Amino acid sequence: MKNVLVIDDEPAIRRALRRVLESAGYSVRVAENGAEGIDELKNLPIDIVIADIIMPHMHGVDAIKAIAREFPQVRIVAISGGGNFRPAEYKPHTIVTEAYLAAAMAAGAHAVLTKPFSTQDVMLAMSAAFADSEGSRTLD
Amino acid sequence: MKFSISASIVIAAIGIHAIVLPALYFGLNVVVSRSHLNVFVQHVRTLSRNLAEELELSDALDSQQRVLDTLDQAILNGDGDFAELVDNGREIRSSLNAPGISWQGRQDFTVGSGSGHEYFIALPISRPNHSAELRLGFDERPTFEEIQVAMRRTLWVLVGYLGAAVAVAIVWSYRLSRPVVELQHAARKIAEGDYVQTLRLRTGILELHRLGNDLEYMRGELVGVNKRLQVEMRDKQLAEERHRELEGRLRHRQRLETVGTLAGGIAHEFNNILLPIVLFAEAALAESPEHSSVHEDLQEILTQANRAKIIVDKILTFSRDAGAPALEVMDLEPVVREAIRLFSVLVPSSVEVHVNLSGPYPAVRADAAMTMQIIMNLCTNAYQSLGGVNGTVSIGLSTSSESVVEVGGSPNIGHVVLSVADSGHGMDSATVDRIFEPFFTTRGVSAGTGLGLSVVHGIATSFGATISVDSAIGRGTTFKVFFPVVLASPVVQASAAIESPNNDLG
Repeated sequence: MKNVLVIDDEPAIRRALRRVLESAGYSVRVAENGAEGIDELKNLPIDIVIADIIMPHMHGVDAIKAIAREFPQVRIVAISGGGNFRPAEYKPHTIVTEAYLAAAMAAGAHAVLTKPFSTQDVMLAMSAAFADSEGSRTLD
Repeated sequence: MKFSISASIVIAAIGIHAIVLPALYFGLNVVVSRSHLNVFVQHVRTLSRNLAEELELSDALDSQQRVLDTLDQAILNGDGDFAELVDNGREIRSSLNAPGISWQGRQDFTVGSGSGHEYFIALPISRPNHSAELRLGFDERPTFEEIQVAMRRTLWVLVGYLGAAVAVAIVWSYRLSRPVVELQHAARKIAEGDYVQTLRLRTGILELHRLGNDLEYMRGELVGVNKRLQVEMRDKQLAEERHRELEGRLRHRQRLETVGTLAGGIAHEFNNILLPIVLFAEAALAESPEHSSVHEDLQEILTQANRAKIIVDKILTFSRDAGAPALEVMDLEPVVREAIRLFSVLVPSSVEVHVNLSGPYPAVRADAAMTMQIIMNLCTNAYQSLGGVNGTVSIGLSTSSESVVEVGGSPNIGHVVLSVADSGHGMDSATVDRIFEPFFTTRGVSAGTGLGLSVVHGIATSFGATISVDSAIGRGTTFKVFFPVVLASPVVQASAAIESPNNDLG
């Protein structure tokens, strides 16, 4: 059984992800922010992390960067709110999603998801993250 | 009382002649009268003397009949109308004497005087044994009439002269007043603002000719000054229109961005709400028996959640389309000047604003309002980095052939570089790394949204421009935005390939 760690500041999202992932047979842990998530990673063997990239206390991208550095074996799926589209050009209100997702990938995420997504999307993203080879990870 | 030039000249001419002509007339009257009198008196005396000598030299006195014949002959010759001889007290009168005339004694010529019209003259005749005196009378009236005719002629000549003089005065007054009136009309037209018509004064009077030339010169100068003023006013109007347009576009863009930011925030929150709804509904759906009412209800929840997601997407798509920039080939300098002007008004006097502009610069592809926002955001960031103490913010443009970025493998033809430098406290390298991240700020929540520089980055990227940051603690910060030069631009200058050194204020 794979161990999944969900890091999100929204309790409802934590509960919802726990619900669908447990239904799919995963063992799920949750954390409210990046610092808590890293504590969990230190205490338990975690296979994959699903982390929101806009959170208080520790910046989501920083958290991903730290996890990728300290726990290189852990798969990471970055999730973000924002528009569910890919703009052809710059828009101030889309810079959050676009820039953060790009930053998350650069920081070491293996897959990204834009809210809202379906259970099937989560499963596909996790499969993609596990399929991603170690060498594709980019760290600075 | 005011008179025109013409009236003044005519009145002056008439006034002068009113004094001169009567004096002239009376003077001529005296001269003509005297000359006629002299001629008459000389004639009478000569005739009388000739007759007296004839009587003296002949022996006519010895015979009364011969004396009478001599006297009658004198009157018949037309030499007088009265003749008598007094010889030894005996009076012998001509039988042809004019009736009613008798010897009145010797007297002078009396022109026009009373009843006497006769001029008498008496001459003594010396003959042995005779004491005789020849007495003759001549009619003065023909001479008097001649004098009157002569005076009438003189009067007519003087009247003719007066008429001619007045006519000449009128003609000359017209010649003098016409150009003056033309000058007056021209001056009035100029005063009323109508000075496009060339002044051509035709006059033979030197002073007026010069005055006309001077006025025409003045008019020409006014036309030149007026044209310059009109050009300046048009330029000012155009600049104001451009300023208003730019401000309008900036306001419009800011409004759109506010809407966009709001929509982005709403989308974020909605998506955070929609995600658990979708996931819980899907989980419940998987566990509910098919064809049950719960199963249908959950499917309905998912359908409605999907509708909500589509609406959020539509809001974001609308914001994206409404805010799409239309890039144009443009000169950055006017936009930079405008931004500097706005910025200079906003900052307190403790901040010294340095401007480094030495155009012309090659054209770039950008949007004026968005470029303005780049400059304003960078300037605001520079000002805030001074932390309320005295300092300088330097804004400038330069050109660079530095290979900063290769866009799509196209040949690098240089950049126009916008630089904004401050003398603030500077940043460490960790801060510099994250400076363009959204919501990243070093100044706490109250100082700003932390979006300013990420917006700069986003706009610059949409222009195909790149940004560099040069900063160190205690050394201030310089932001440079590299706008790729547009190749087809006619203002591209090969000589401007080296970045100007005065731009780098570190």
